[in-house]
Amino acid sequence: MSSTGAGYDLSATTFSPDGKIFQVEYATKAVENSGTAIGIKCKDGILLAVEKLLLSKLLVPGTNKRVHHVTPRIGVAVTGLTADTRQIVNRARDEAANYKESYGDYISPKLLTERVSNYVHYFTMHGSLRPFGASTLIAGYDDETKEAQLHMVEPSGVSYRYFGCAVGKGRQGAKTEIEKLKVMEMTCRVAMKHVAKILHVLHDEAKDKPFEIEMSWVCEESGFKHAMIDTQLIKDAEKWAKESIEADEMDDDE
Amino acid sequence: MFRNQYDTDVTVWSPQGRLHQVEYAMEAVKQGSACLGLTSKTHAVLCALKRSPNELGSYQEKIMKIDDHMGISIAGLTADARMLAKYMRTEALNHKYVYGTQLQANRLATDLADMHQRCTQSYVRRPYGVGMLIAAHDATGPHLMETSPSGNYFEYVAMAIGARSQSAKTYLEKHYQDFPAASVDDLIKHGLKALSGCITGDKELDVASVSVAIVGAGQAFEEVQGARLQAFLDAIEVEGDAAAPAPAGEPEAPADVPAPMDEGIA
Amino acid sequence: MPKRHWPLYLSLALFLRLLLMIGLAPSRSHGAPSQTLMDAPRQRTQSPIVTGTSVIGLKYKDGVMLAADTLASYGSLARYKSVERIRPVGESTLLGASGEYSDFQAIMEMLEDQTQEDRNMDDGFKRAPAEVHSYLRAVMYNRRNKMNPLWNYLLIAGVNPRTGGFFLGSVDHIGTAYEDDILATGFGAHLALPILRRRWRADMEEGEARALLEDCMRVLFYRDCRALNRIQIAKATREGVLVSDPYTIETSWSLAAFAQPKAGADTDGSW
Repeated sequence: MSSTGAGYDLSATTFSPDGKIFQVEYATKAVENSGTAIGIKCKDGILLAVEKLLLSKLLVPGTNKRVHHVTPRIGVAVTGLTADTRQIVNRARDEAANYKESYGDYISPKLLTERVSNYVHYFTMHGSLRPFGASTLIAGYDDETKEAQLHMVEPSGVSYRYFGCAVGKGRQGAKTEIEKLKVMEMTCRVAMKHVAKILHVLHDEAKDKPFEIEMSWVCEESGFKHAMIDTQLIKDAEKWAKESIEADEMDDDE
Repeated sequence: MFRNQYDTDVTVWSPQGRLHQVEYAMEAVKQGSACLGLTSKTHAVLCALKRSPNELGSYQEKIMKIDDHMGISIAGLTADARMLAKYMRTEALNHKYVYGTQLQANRLATDLADMHQRCTQSYVRRPYGVGMLIAAHDATGPHLMETSPSGNYFEYVAMAIGARSQSAKTYLEKHYQDFPAASVDDLIKHGLKALSGCITGDKELDVASVSVAIVGAGQAFEEVQGARLQAFLDAIEVEGDAAAPAPAGEPEAPADVPAPMDEGIA
Repeated sequence: MPKRHWPLYLSLALFLRLLLMIGLAPSRSHGAPSQTLMDAPRQRTQSPIVTGTSVIGLKYKDGVMLAADTLASYGSLARYKSVERIRPVGESTLLGASGEYSDFQAIMEMLEDQTQEDRNMDDGFKRAPAEVHSYLRAVMYNRRNKMNPLWNYLLIAGVNPRTGGFFLGSVDHIGTAYEDDILATGFGAHLALPILRRRWRADMEEGEARALLEDCMRVLFYRDCRALNRIQIAKATREGVLVSDPYTIETSWSLAAFAQPKAGADTDGSW
């Protein structure tokens, strides 16, 4: 493999001669191989969606969650190694609880992102640890600024605020579609259909395992609280998505 | 000497974004004798195949009780499992003292899975080499959960782990739609039929080498033993329709190709 | 032969001499309280400071009801007249507290952390009032064993979200816990319980239950000098929990005994 680091890639504490930390990049690979997660800042709030690959038909629907509550106004969608993501979610909840205990109010999405980033970054600094194989999308409503925000924390500990972002297997295609469809200008309720479609389009039915979609929002409709989107609503969106994909294919055939 | 330079430490990612040490730990689960679990709307059942070191030795127990509403079956390193079982029992007992009710199985499973995960991210400890099926009946009904060394945990309608568990899985996948409405007796019979596919060719299921346990609504966790178990074994022999036994001596997957840790990446 | 650090030994010896000189030598006597900084007895909260008085509660036909006034006293001073001493815990439990108000706030924080955790888990499990009761019992008992009690007498009321059963229980600051159909803390145990025993029925309508609690609160206001006529009533039913806004109960001071406090002086001097 040409891109591997010839001995410079065995520890998160080793820089390569050209200034790279290979272990962080490899951890990112784990995220890139996993189910797609999409976050969008819509007209009326934030929408989170995750493609959850199902490994067995014996699984109970809804198990192995990928979207989590953190505070009443903040939720996260995660992708990568599920076990790793759970540590990050736990930490996010601890940070939120600590903040509330100290200051008597809920933590802002921005500050929570900063704290989660610090946590994730710590694991890139020590030889006795490994970086997280997980990316975290943080959606929340800031009571102070009265706006909904979307952030993403990467395995390196870097985080940015986004209008729209995608990670996982289908990230490239998803990003293109989000920009093309101007999903950011829709309401969450409309956007969720298109997001369902994006996930279905990017999913290779022949090659990839079957999947389940999990979605949540922090928007006007939910009173700017973080709420899981009802499974029936998601099913309806998927139905629309599949019909729409079929219609597109018919158009192509003509 | 080594397969590659990335497979000796848990804290090292391979260029493909894999954790070989964790994958190897999961191989340890596949070395353990098979166990399986299945659930109906009211009950959860565990079945396991026990091994003995030789004819003069006793069989290694595979099923452990955690609390009145919960038990586990394990595949892999039994000593690791004992540690984890002790942790689970303590947690269940503490919960009972503090809240006066039984601990929710999924919450214990989450904590347990987090414990597994922590071992995969620090140099200090090795990952646990044990897979576990947790059968429970709590405030939200019957549950069957699987934990693995990677720190993943899933809830299943039915699942099998351990050596030659593939044929059991195939059986369960074929019949799982019948499980929700099944009676406990039927559930046990399905479990034993599935389990019979996991033994090597010339052997048969018998009271000594099989463990069965049930838990459910109004049914505290209990092992089904002796004559009661024999009756079930006799019944499935009459009914037939068991899982196809695996060809003797043939390993499930070629030993030198580690299974990708795709479970972790979904 | 272990290395000896003479400077360290010397300084230690000097320090002990110093302690001797100022009269802080380690004492070997077990009877009298020791004078050293090291093993001087440690004293924690001996009494509450800002306190709420009685909370009363009863089960009725459709649920469970609690009542408390909104006063927090500072000793005998009526210090805060608008504090809410009954709070919802999650979706199906009510907590009413008498005793130290700051400890009650700390308890509420612990419970809110748990409620948030339940919400976060999102696994369909809802905590029952009996579990909140048992938890508080464990906390109170544990704290008292550490000789650092939370100084409250709590009533826990609610409906089990799984079975729909009604719950009313109490926990005091040393961890004594029990359940009953009618309960009262503080002065309420002396002044309200007799009334509740006489008039309570399991099949009371909501209005009847409310009227009974108001009557009790009125008597408490007349007699308990740490009580107020501004109260809250809260109910837990299968529909959920509801805490009323504070309101003032009517009182009548025209009774002869009130108008002429000395009227009873020829008997036992009481009203």
